[in-house]
Amino acid sequence: MHDLLPFLPGQLNQVLDGITLLIPELYLSGLFLVILVTDILFGKNSGWLCRILACAGLVVVLIKDLQQFGLVVNNGFPFFNEMLLLHRTSVTFKALIDIFSIILLLYFEWDDELRSHTKKLSGLYAIAIAAILGLHLMAMSINLLSIYLSIEMVSIASYLMVAYHTENKLSSEAGLKYVLFGAASSAVMLYGISLLYGFTGSLNLLTGNMLPGLLHTNAMAVSLAFALVFVGVGFKLSFVPMHFWVPDIYQGAPTPVSAFLSTVPKIATFCLLINFFIPFLYYPKWDMHDFKLALSAAGIVTMVAGNFAAVLQNNVKRMLAYSSIGHTGFALMALAAFNDAGKTALSFYLVAYSLASIGTWMLATYFADAAKAEDMTSYKGLGFKYPLAGVLFVILLISLTGIPLTAGFNGKLVVFSAAYSAYQQSHYIWTLLLMITGAVTTVVSLFYYIKIPLNLFLRKTERSAGFASPNKYLLASVAIITILVIYLGFFPDILLKNL
Amino acid sequence: MNILSLLIFIPLLFALAIIVLPSSMRAGFKYITLLATLVQLGISIWMYLHFQTGGHFGGVNNEAQFQFVQKIPWIDLSLGNMGKMQVDYFVGIDGISITLVLMTSLVMVIAALASWEIKSNLKGFFSLFLLLNTAVIGVFCALDFFLFYIFYELMLLPLYFLIGMWGGARREYAAIKFFLYTLFGSVFMLLVMVGLYLSVKDPATGSHTFNIIQMMNPANYDQGSVFSVLAHKTILGMPARTVGFVVLFIAFAIKVPIVPLHTWLPDAHVEAPTPVSIILAGILLKVGGYGIIRICLGIFPEIASSGAFWLGLLGVISIIYGALNALAQRDLKRLIAYSSVSHMGFVLLGIASQTPEGISGALMQMVSHGFLSAMLFFLVGVVYNRVHDRDIYNFRGLGTLMPKYTTFVMIAFFASLGIPGLSAFIGEAFSLLGAFESSSVNGYLPYWMAICGSVGIILSAAYFLWTLQRMFFGTLSLKGGDVWKTALTDLDSREILALMPLALMTLVLGVMPSLVFDKINDSVLALVHFLK
Repeated sequence: MHDLLPFLPGQLNQVLDGITLLIPELYLSGLFLVILVTDILFGKNSGWLCRILACAGLVVVLIKDLQQFGLVVNNGFPFFNEMLLLHRTSVTFKALIDIFSIILLLYFEWDDELRSHTKKLSGLYAIAIAAILGLHLMAMSINLLSIYLSIEMVSIASYLMVAYHTENKLSSEAGLKYVLFGAASSAVMLYGISLLYGFTGSLNLLTGNMLPGLLHTNAMAVSLAFALVFVGVGFKLSFVPMHFWVPDIYQGAPTPVSAFLSTVPKIATFCLLINFFIPFLYYPKWDMHDFKLALSAAGIVTMVAGNFAAVLQNNVKRMLAYSSIGHTGFALMALAAFNDAGKTALSFYLVAYSLASIGTWMLATYFADAAKAEDMTSYKGLGFKYPLAGVLFVILLISLTGIPLTAGFNGKLVVFSAAYSAYQQSHYIWTLLLMITGAVTTVVSLFYYIKIPLNLFLRKTERSAGFASPNKYLLASVAIITILVIYLGFFPDILLKNL
Repeated sequence: MNILSLLIFIPLLFALAIIVLPSSMRAGFKYITLLATLVQLGISIWMYLHFQTGGHFGGVNNEAQFQFVQKIPWIDLSLGNMGKMQVDYFVGIDGISITLVLMTSLVMVIAALASWEIKSNLKGFFSLFLLLNTAVIGVFCALDFFLFYIFYELMLLPLYFLIGMWGGARREYAAIKFFLYTLFGSVFMLLVMVGLYLSVKDPATGSHTFNIIQMMNPANYDQGSVFSVLAHKTILGMPARTVGFVVLFIAFAIKVPIVPLHTWLPDAHVEAPTPVSIILAGILLKVGGYGIIRICLGIFPEIASSGAFWLGLLGVISIIYGALNALAQRDLKRLIAYSSVSHMGFVLLGIASQTPEGISGALMQMVSHGFLSAMLFFLVGVVYNRVHDRDIYNFRGLGTLMPKYTTFVMIAFFASLGIPGLSAFIGEAFSLLGAFESSSVNGYLPYWMAICGSVGIILSAAYFLWTLQRMFFGTLSLKGGDVWKTALTDLDSREILALMPLALMTLVLGVMPSLVFDKINDSVLALVHFLK
């Protein structure tokens, strides 16, 4: 104990210095407590208040995020004993997470199924804020311990969100499956981390003995340990073969929660992966070959599995779930390029994907509320009944497919560009295969995306009763999202310049 | 405002007007559409008349020689260590595009007139129609690959809905098949496009550019870039530039369509409503031919030379195979669809010869086929609208019942089978002439290809004359009996109004092919010179 005393002031100073870099997260923690207390004080019917608090609070957090841009112009700041790393990419990704979270939190209330539940929504807002805090930490983690803790934090919040309303069998099944699968994969990840710790005696990726130690360890064992770690990451990112939970859970969970799970955790996880690879990329003796191979292979398999499985689906939510797997695979292509352009491309692609994806989930809610339509076949002829929603759906799906004048197309273009330039330098065959798979699966994706316009507009329905008029705000926000998607289709440079 | 941009975006403005107007005014939508196409036709006639010719206006690979040019920076982006990316809104025309633009504008007017038959969901139909119109004109005018690609893809969605919502019984199948085929070609085109722009640098600004004309200059390629002429890079063990050419060629060959990538065409043409069939056959097939000339030949000239034999072979196969298929059809619309495959084969044969005659013939054939196929599909639509049947064997002796109709059918058929004095003769004759000459001038195509091409003309005479005999000659005998007899009224004035300009164009171009040749000649010579 006495030996440690001289170090204490230094340690404390480090913590105090670090706190200045952690302001958005401190706000988030405060916000979480405020909402929790509001929920307890005002009871079940405080949903509207919690919603206002949560959204307003997130706007403040977003502003604090944006202020951090000034701090991290070109350099990164490791803090808390190199547990967390604040640099430009993590600030960008945090800001993206906050923007999409605000949209998603507004959206919770608009889902009939979720709103009409007896439990009410105030608790959900508290959980969501906790999840967002976890996502922020994920975006900054640079130590295996903080990586594990932040992933767990997000996971636990997600379990609660998925199982938030469990009145039907499908939903409870989804909740249970998610917990079991999540628990198993985090256990596996922890085992991997413990192996890495055993090899090197360090958890710190940035400095210390981690990388030199790994170079002196049996390559096979190192690969195994990394594979185990990636199981945990893959669970959050849902790349093949850690994707089995996705369709069931997205289908069973409340639609806004599925929208949440399919977008923001992916953004955070990609940021985590970027952080994870940075030390290896800049360590001169480390050969990135294996990582490239693993990422490329995972990308190819994920694109193929996600897109081909989506073709077979009839339930709209399930189809969107598989398509989100396919998009993960495509985004892995940008990551596998391992260049600056790839990083920008990845952020842009994730923005384009998240916008369109949230929009389509909202429309799934819209049609479910309007006409109890959950299967493709029950969408028949609805485009004539709800023309605006139908047209918006078509545009968003076009963006997800990647056809020009939408954000999705420009996303594909920049990702292909990044991969191409990587290929031009290295002539690495897997990069080329990634691009070819990306092109082929784009065509495949059209095949299932087009089923929705097909049913909306090309087929007629005999049904004449049972139509409700759903929430106008929902449709309005989809319209705004669609306008954004088209705007980014015309002028991608406005966003790309700032990523 | 640049006249060319006006031409491209006028339909879009009218489409917005239609979307904004209330549905209660739906009866007026067709007039609005017709007005839009007429304005467009007026602009393109003005452009045709003011189109300069002469050695200084060849265009092709010389940016300064294009006319009605507008170039505005659009997307300007730093890509970090990859340099800068530069996309321009860059439109302009040379001899290769001018006649196609004029042809497109005229066919669009006819298609708008044919849209009178559409009865349901008029707002959707006409706004999609006009959106499609913008896209096709844009494709012919774009000189920036990014812009070209956007217009190219922009055609897909309107067409999907136009076929799928207003089409025949198997419309869902036809629409998705068309969409998937074209998208398959174009996503790989996207890959090549990305590769090309990362290989090419604009010498003036030093940034990576999508400018098609810059891509034609080997000096603009980065050293060691994938598509560099000098670097001889390989992709999957094959020469990179060959791969690029083949991928682009496949994308356009699907559009043309060239056997064996043609199978979407009979389905799409047959199931589409008449105005859409007219646009498909009259205009969209030319996008394929135009793309091959402008992009495949322009950017990869040396591959086009070394692969000329194979291009010619595919052309000949299309000619013969399409014609044989047409012979075997019972459905009149299917017959015409296959005849399109056959006639577009001449375009490819002419292009493959890479002689001035051959390429002029190919361009002439595209213009001529644009008018003729529009006419043929319109004529099929006339019968189909009246009795909802188009099986050749269900009609006999229509000549006595519908004399005016039969007159137009005869003009269209005779023109299509290549009777001298009508437009298709000029196109086919020049394509074949080019193919014959090729073996002595550049040695790309052997003589037998030209001979096989001529056989295609004989086959087309066979199926057209046989159809004429089966449907129009002899005593009147209809499957539907008296009901059909009363339903099958002769052409009304709107239909005559639509058919007359097409028939006139066929006759005029047959007698005065110089109307086309004068405008295209400098560009064709520049292209041939460039290919050497």
